[in-house]
Amino acid sequence: MEELILVKVEHMQADDVPGGAWLTGLAAWFLPGLGHVLQKRWYRAILMGGAVWVCFFVGLGMGGHLFDLSSEGSWVILQIPPMIANLGTGALYLVSWLIGHGFADDPVQAARATYEYGNNLLLISGLLNYLNMLDAFDIAAGRKP
Amino acid sequence: MALFAGLASIIFGAMAKDTTRERWIYGLKVFAEFMVIGLVLSWILYFIP
Repeated sequence: MEELILVKVEHMQADDVPGGAWLTGLAAWFLPGLGHVLQKRWYRAILMGGAVWVCFFVGLGMGGHLFDLSSEGSWVILQIPPMIANLGTGALYLVSWLIGHGFADDPVQAARATYEYGNNLLLISGLLNYLNMLDAFDIAAGRKP
Repeated sequence: MALFAGLASIIFGAMAKDTTRERWIYGLKVFAEFMVIGLVLSWILYFIP
């Protein structure tokens, strides 16, 4: 009986999420900070979205590269986890991919002292934006004040 | 490393806890942890050939 009630409560909680929350989450993923801007959480948008933007552009500036499925010499499957991390930056990744900037992985670039730092910052920017997305979703769903 | 620690701790701090004071304390704690663990690990790896 208790199990049945628990399952019912879980279903009710899942149903309670308004459709706008999903859209807010999508917006937060697509443009870092947008999810909080839409909810007029200005400070959160500046702090959390800004952190992702800074992380991404500093990573690019340091000579890091973004991952996609076109691998040279290595298995494609190994490119998927870092690509998922990079994809977290949403439009930043997509625009870079469209203009072909940041995907080069040539030996000259790899010789830069800041190359690995750049790679890591680019990965982290995407992962941090996934956290932003969850935060914006939780606020929109009323799970967080 | 400090930049990474700072940016990550901003987001961790903003997401966690309820009051502004608690968020500040948590953010600073996360920043300090990233820095200390990073420095300790780098010194350990320095002695490993």
